[in-house]
Amino acid sequence: MAIITISRGSFSMGKSVAEKVAEKLNYGIISREVLLDASNHYNIPEIKLEKAIHDAPGILERYSHKKQEYISYIRSALVDKVVNDNIIYHGLAGHLLLKGISHVLKVRITANMESRISYVMKRDGISAHDAHALILENDNQRRKWTHSLYGQDPWDSSLYDLTIRIDKLSIDDAVNFICQTAKTDGFTTTEKSLQKIKDMALACHVKAALVHDFPDIGVTSEYGNVLIYLKPKDHVTSKLSKRLDEIRHRKGTIYNLEVHAGIPIPEDAV
Amino acid sequence: MEQLTVEMIWVMIMIGIAIFLFIVEWVRVDVVAIIMMVTLPLLHLVSPKEAFVGLSSNAVVSIIAVIIIGAGLDRTGVINKLVTPVLRIAGNSPSRIIICISATVATISSFMQNIGAAALFLPAIQRISKKQNIPLSRLLMPVGFCAILGGTVTLVGSSPLILLNDLLVPFNLKPFNLFDVTPIGLALVASGIACFILLGRFILPQGDDHEAKEGNDTASGEHAHGTEEMGDYYELSTPEDFSHYRDPLYVEDLRRRYLVNVIAITEPPDFKIISPSPDTEVRSGIDIVVYGHKKDVNRMAESEGMAVKEAIERFKSNLDSLNSGTVEAVIAPRSWLAGKTLADINFQDRYRITPLSIYRQEETYRVKLDDIRFQVGDVISLYGSWKRLKELQQEGGLLFSLPSDTDYMRPGKAVWAGLWLVTALVMIMGFKIQLSVSLMTGALGMILTNVLTIDEAYQSVDWRTIFLLAGLIPLGIATEKTGTAAWIATTVLDIIGTVSPIVLLTVIGILSTLFTLVISNVGATVLLVPLVVNMAIAAHADPRMAALVVGLATSNSFILPTHQVNALYMGPGHYRTIDFMKAGLLVSIVFIAVMIAMISFVYGV
Repeated sequence: MAIITISRGSFSMGKSVAEKVAEKLNYGIISREVLLDASNHYNIPEIKLEKAIHDAPGILERYSHKKQEYISYIRSALVDKVVNDNIIYHGLAGHLLLKGISHVLKVRITANMESRISYVMKRDGISAHDAHALILENDNQRRKWTHSLYGQDPWDSSLYDLTIRIDKLSIDDAVNFICQTAKTDGFTTTEKSLQKIKDMALACHVKAALVHDFPDIGVTSEYGNVLIYLKPKDHVTSKLSKRLDEIRHRKGTIYNLEVHAGIPIPEDAV
Repeated sequence: MEQLTVEMIWVMIMIGIAIFLFIVEWVRVDVVAIIMMVTLPLLHLVSPKEAFVGLSSNAVVSIIAVIIIGAGLDRTGVINKLVTPVLRIAGNSPSRIIICISATVATISSFMQNIGAAALFLPAIQRISKKQNIPLSRLLMPVGFCAILGGTVTLVGSSPLILLNDLLVPFNLKPFNLFDVTPIGLALVASGIACFILLGRFILPQGDDHEAKEGNDTASGEHAHGTEEMGDYYELSTPEDFSHYRDPLYVEDLRRRYLVNVIAITEPPDFKIISPSPDTEVRSGIDIVVYGHKKDVNRMAESEGMAVKEAIERFKSNLDSLNSGTVEAVIAPRSWLAGKTLADINFQDRYRITPLSIYRQEETYRVKLDDIRFQVGDVISLYGSWKRLKELQQEGGLLFSLPSDTDYMRPGKAVWAGLWLVTALVMIMGFKIQLSVSLMTGALGMILTNVLTIDEAYQSVDWRTIFLLAGLIPLGIATEKTGTAAWIATTVLDIIGTVSPIVLLTVIGILSTLFTLVISNVGATVLLVPLVVNMAIAAHADPRMAALVVGLATSNSFILPTHQVNALYMGPGHYRTIDFMKAGLLVSIVFIAVMIAMISFVYGV
């Protein structure tokens, strides 16, 4: 009983692995649906969301907070999808968006360069040189994206529980490893970890509801007690307090909502 | 008209910067004053000597002495002694209670710093509110306003008035005496009290009604306005298998998850712990007493599998109201707690007192209280034994009342304190000795007769006030010396044309009121006095009266909770800014009308 995120280097067979794991464990599988959900729910064109989660922020975007806003929407949609457990997510940034939940198995699939090049050559009908350039460009974008938003390198193996390189190991080997790992005690859903992801879902909803106007806030939730953290110099404006009142009355699962200002935003805040 | 010089432009730029900094508060007001103190001589707008002349001015010395005298009165418990007879006179009628307490506070405030008087009385008012069952919101605002108005009763009542004579020196105008303002000040206090007695029901939030309404607000009524009903005590027990098959559960977890405060717990085999520390584990087969809302307690009992008992059983004797209880403590001005968090000072381990909630500007905080950085005026609800609370009270920095608030620190010195105050007053009135010298004599006398020690005297002096005053004085000098004040005054008069003295004074009063709301009262006084004196001279009105209007009207700070006293009372009274606007607007208008009327009546303008 777990949530599995499969992150992959571009064109590294991650999708095939994910599908086979899902089949074997009888888990649900999601990827792009998350973007679609976010797009429908928050009324943002899917292409914009995809760009937000795929491309590294440009110079101007770094100041406009648009990217963070879209990612909040995507995160909210993703957490909603996985909160019911037994699911595999093989889209982008799953390991970062679901950080801190103990029953999330974070897997990274890579493949050797030659097979990635030949896959792209076959798929797109381009030369080996062009395929190589395309893969490098893609990897570079991912690296920049992760770095600019989370300050981390996607190729850093410490971000994952399992890193598998499809080369000497086949796709089936990888599937077996993942299935075995998912069944170990460490990834068992506990009452506590379930509560944690429910709280994360709640925090994500609140953040998504506020992020457009207040991009700098951090939100945490514990047993339905939501805390909103403001940056040190900020204070509760009438606009914010009005929005909070709306949220208090709208979301049935919020038990208590407080705003704390002037203290560092905790790391587990969304 | 005088030619606009480069120096004048510089002075106006500096004034602009000062006002800007006062409003945006990038740095504290006293730092703004020090910036002025240092920048003005660097720009050659004042001489180095003039830059620091403020530090040795009559105003600064007087205020130091006033603060020390106030601290002496505070220490002897004279103030506490006043409360009982005042209450006896007041009886049970809320109106009479408001009149009596307001009048007392105003009297004390006329010889003390307003904020000091306001802070001193807060615990007493809390006690009266509880005892007479009058909502705190109905008492605090009238009393707070009167503490400010009391500052206009004597020339040492408020910083602007203390400054006034110093600001008149460059114009060779006759200084004011200590009681020159008294008739006007008394009329202002009386009109302030009258506003609340006659129209209180329209301008004051009526605590009781709000509470009743809030009872129905189930979503999360705490954020709404009004005093919040905190909750009640419940005793629960955990089953024998409580800690099996689960992660350890701690006292702090219960607060974070269910907003329930554990105030007593048993430890096997049979220890009772009152106010357990947050990392105390909740074990199997034990009893706990919690303080919280019923719905929270029930939610906790249900999800954690605890049993709620019908009544307090095991801890009946410990939780007796004779031994322990809850208090609402207010972070005092200049408290050592301001800027700190409960975690910083290891509060719970140190005092064995349980913090229940923190209230600040319409928000009640109940989760992760440890992280909240205190501000002056925050209200923190505490549960503890009276003994522990008393110990906390003695550390200072928190204002609250305890049932046993009858013993004073040095009651025997009350006579000496009173005597020295009278001596200072006699020197001022009877012998016409300068204010600063007389007051300093009183302060010294208190130290020599051990009313307070010299170290206590030093500690009581608020450097912020001193530097705010001393730092802004050179700005006033520069405004006058460079001719900037005269230039602005004549320019303004050229634009508005000839006006009668009464109209001019009224306009000055309104202008001072507006200034004092956005920049500090001292800042407003220093900037406006040179200006209005020049204006009055140009318009053939009495320049002393113009200055007096500024000195008085800079106490007209009621519409926004920017005045220290209002900021202090905002939390405990659970007031919103709109409450201050409503009551403050009325009192401010009445203030200006009464002030102008009294000035024309007393001084025949």
